[in-house]
Amino acid sequence: MKEAYLGIDIGSISTKGVIIDKDNQILASEYIWTEGDPMGAAGKLISALEKQFDKETYQIVATGTTGSARKLVGAMVGATIVKNEITAHAVGTTTLYPEVRTILEIGGQDSKIILVEHGIAVDYAMNTLCAAGTGAFLSSQARRLGVEVEDFGRIALTSKHPTQLAARCTVFAESDLVHKIQMGHTKEDIIAGLCRSVVSNYINNVGKGKKILSPVVFQGGVSKNIGVVEAFRKALGCDIIVDENGHLMGALGIAILAGKANARRTFDFSVEDMAFRTREINCGRCPNNCEIICIYRDDMLIDSWGNRCDKGALKAGIRTGVRTMAKN
Amino acid sequence: MKEKGNTAAVTARTPVIGLPRALLYEREAVMWKAFFSSLGMRGIISAPTNREMLRLGAEAAIDEVCLSTKIYLGHVRSLFGKCDLILVPRVSNYGLHRNMCTKFESLYDLVCNVFRNTGQRFLAYNVDVLGGISEEKAFVDLGMALGFGRKDAVRAFRRAGRAAAEDWHKKISREERLYRTDQIKVLVAGHSYLTEDAYIGRPLFQYLEEMGVVPIRADRVDRKEALRQSVRVSPTIKWEMSRELLGSIQMHKSKVDGLILMSAFPCGPDSMVNEMIIRKFPDIPILNIVMDNQDGTAGLETRLESFTDILKLKRGEL
Ligand code: SF4
Ligand code: SF4
Repeated sequence: MKEAYLGIDIGSISTKGVIIDKDNQILASEYIWTEGDPMGAAGKLISALEKQFDKETYQIVATGTTGSARKLVGAMVGATIVKNEITAHAVGTTTLYPEVRTILEIGGQDSKIILVEHGIAVDYAMNTLCAAGTGAFLSSQARRLGVEVEDFGRIALTSKHPTQLAARCTVFAESDLVHKIQMGHTKEDIIAGLCRSVVSNYINNVGKGKKILSPVVFQGGVSKNIGVVEAFRKALGCDIIVDENGHLMGALGIAILAGKANARRTFDFSVEDMAFRTREINCGRCPNNCEIICIYRDDMLIDSWGNRCDKGALKAGIRTGVRTMAKN
Repeated sequence: MKEKGNTAAVTARTPVIGLPRALLYEREAVMWKAFFSSLGMRGIISAPTNREMLRLGAEAAIDEVCLSTKIYLGHVRSLFGKCDLILVPRVSNYGLHRNMCTKFESLYDLVCNVFRNTGQRFLAYNVDVLGGISEEKAFVDLGMALGFGRKDAVRAFRRAGRAAAEDWHKKISREERLYRTDQIKVLVAGHSYLTEDAYIGRPLFQYLEEMGVVPIRADRVDRKEALRQSVRVSPTIKWEMSRELLGSIQMHKSKVDGLILMSAFPCGPDSMVNEMIIRKFPDIPILNIVMDNQDGTAGLETRLESFTDILKLKRGEL
């Protein structure tokens, strides 16, 4: 049996998974929508991966989870490593592109920049407060212009004179956009202008004076927009690499980290058939009244978190309801 | 005022002073405690911040004030009924380019106004060096307002000043030692009322320590030297506490692996100064954290974890 490693990246919008071998070659990969149900999505993802996976030759000996629901799904699948998405992305990308110096990422809700030296991430910044440069902003503006956001890039490239738009923040950008429409700017110029404003917003708010060196890899949902890619190319004066598997970088990175770490636990595909449940309880032992998230597998508590101190720690293994009954 | 032949007795109880454990408390506690106790007065300190206090403070405040002020109001409110007077200093400046944020200048009036119908009494001292009120005058006036003689007040101030200086010296040398460890070190630059706050700042320190990182407080620094160094980065910043942090970063940037800027939402001074710091120190990894009164630490943990991962990767330890 050869060793294999599973990586799962559960984001708020999509859930991604890969299984790799010792040489980081992808043996199976899958991409599905999370649809607000991370555990359900993880279950579906695992059964899809199982179909592609050669169980005769390989055995999964380590599992990693990343993304916003990493803890939850990590507890569910018995992960050997649970890590944030920034580290996972950096590791995934630098493994595929050892020369990369800058990783740009613009997703649906947030944007990040990771600076790399000698294949190692050395600095990063992210922006979660301002929506002006993100996918959500582009989608809402596309709606306003009556254009499918998927067509944005193609339309933008036809523009000869991109409209100047106030890029500082969503509110200004939006009112400026309305103004420019009324002034009679063409749709393609405005769309090209929007792509440019996403880029200048990113460079100002996320990049903040950081040196963006090439090679540059661009990831996240917005990287599929060729208008924005083109605007980055112009603004930075260098080639922009967009990998068609860019969305798998997080899953790949966490699978690589799982393989590298020492922890080993054979992954059991039967988790997709088990029943998992979460419950929120309030500790109430002090005025902080922490909300503790409990996760149960077949009514057995397997993990919990959210307590600010040890007094609120719950022991894995107790069953729902059993504790109060035992007291009587 | 006993009249001849009067046989009744009145016990004049010395008033108990309430000290809110917020804003200037962390900075001035030793001074305050020494001052009041050498005048023979008793004090009571509010409990460390918890979620309930923060809720009370946010309820009392208008939405737009900073998190630190909301926390302060929560502390003030928690002292009601436990003391006679609550100390709420009003500090404008310590000299030219040594201003305090306007919140400190307006604090006494703000507190009196917010709690105007509660019957609670407050006690203020005013520091305004540009306006001719030195710290010494402020404390001496405070002592006299409490009914003590000038001589006693001066003595109490001097004694308190010595105690504070001694304590500060100890604190700095403890912090200085941290710069010499081989572990990964992160300089945390934030106002002491945030970094020391049990609900807001302490969990961040705990978390860093659990991750095997040594957090060092930038505000614990030789203040005179920090003020001097800060001028080299920016000659024009006018806020005293921002200057101390800026100078401390300039002094220690090569001794640490990374820098965390921690500020409250929405903070006027920090939103400008931290933005400048991010641009002026491009060679050191910086994490900018803005705290607000939202529950849940998941987002914070993600950011701290990825930041420390990067520092570890850099050293080849991940
Ligand atoms: S977990 Fe700890 S801090 Fe949270 S409510 Fe319970 S006792 Fe208080
Ligand atoms: S400096 Fe910022 S955090 Fe401190 S009181 Fe002023 S506004 Fe609030």
